[in-house]
Amino acid sequence: MSPRTPDTPADPVEDYLDRLFVTLSGSPRQVRHTLAEVEAHLRDAVAEGVAAGLTEPEAQAQAVARMGPVQGVTGRRPALTRPSLALVRRLALTAALIGGAGFLAVGVAGVFARLLLTVKGNEFLTAPWPAGTYTRADCARWLAGNPGTHSCVTAMLADHVGDFLLQATAAGLLGLIALAAYLTLRQRWQDRGTLTALPAGTAEALGAALAALAAVVCLGQAVNTEMVQHGVGAGEAWSLGAAAVVAAVAFMLALRRALRRAAPA
Amino acid sequence: MRSERLKGHLDLLLLSVLSRGPGHGYEVITRLRDRSDGAFELPEGTVYPALHRLEEAGLLASAWNIVSGRRRRIYRLTLAGETALAEQSQQWSEFSGSVGRVLGTPAAVSPLRPALPGVTA
Repeated sequence: MSPRTPDTPADPVEDYLDRLFVTLSGSPRQVRHTLAEVEAHLRDAVAEGVAAGLTEPEAQAQAVARMGPVQGVTGRRPALTRPSLALVRRLALTAALIGGAGFLAVGVAGVFARLLLTVKGNEFLTAPWPAGTYTRADCARWLAGNPGTHSCVTAMLADHVGDFLLQATAAGLLGLIALAAYLTLRQRWQDRGTLTALPAGTAEALGAALAALAAVVCLGQAVNTEMVQHGVGAGEAWSLGAAAVVAAVAFMLALRRALRRAAPA
Repeated sequence: MRSERLKGHLDLLLLSVLSRGPGHGYEVITRLRDRSDGAFELPEGTVYPALHRLEEAGLLASAWNIVSGRRRRIYRLTLAGETALAEQSQQWSEFSGSVGRVLGTPAAVSPLRPALPGVTA
């Protein structure tokens, strides 16, 4: 289908195929096959009309009229005319992608945190609470939960580090599940309505913006902690900030690929 | 004939048309029109969802071939399609015969023409 230019006369067959293309739902293969079938049908009908003595434009108009509305070919209400459903699907895909990547980034931050732990120890990852903000009962609970520690502060740090790593691992697993759901649903929802409900690259751009914002906030907090507390407790923010940078870069690469794919050849 | 009335019997008609031999969508429409002496006129595009539905149901199979220099999807009846055609033809014969008896007119024949040996109007 070639784009109409001011020099191109109206072609009812091409116009019909254009309308059919944006109305058809189904997998890309189903859309291509139906388009090919209908185009062959229309060309046959035009040839038959011309053979019967009609002019080319008359034969084209007759072929299109006999084919009927494009909704007759699709056999159902097109997804494009149900923007609510298509939009809901696209928003669900966007949420699954951004949410999944976000949770996975927290999981990656847990990996960074483990690396920092081996180099700099618990106190770099998380700062102890100020004296007077916890009770003897808290100390007893921390010591009981961390039998290898011998003071309330070291037990508190081990407890908090353990909590952070556990939560990061859980977030990472949740992110993987969300991304698996995203990939599955994206494969299933290949209809044009869903694919065109939002501009190409919307999810990737939003994800990149959110990840970049998270990176700025976390890295800013890490720098502030380094300056104010001489690094004590800065590890969590460094880990999260680094993971957010990774997520932002990944989203930007995905955005570039999505925009290239959507750009006309 | 009104296309709404025809749509209720489109599957049976398509199976019957294709029982005479494989064909692409335009051929199917042409055969349907010719064999009904032009009585069956419906928007031609409506035949495609019906063909696709019958293929999904396993009653038809299709393959892409080049015919007259054009790439076309050729449909043919499957064994399951032949069985379904025989059953539906039988049901139609019984139904139309009953209606004919009520109306006092000669029994209607099977749609188009009997497709399989042993299937009579």
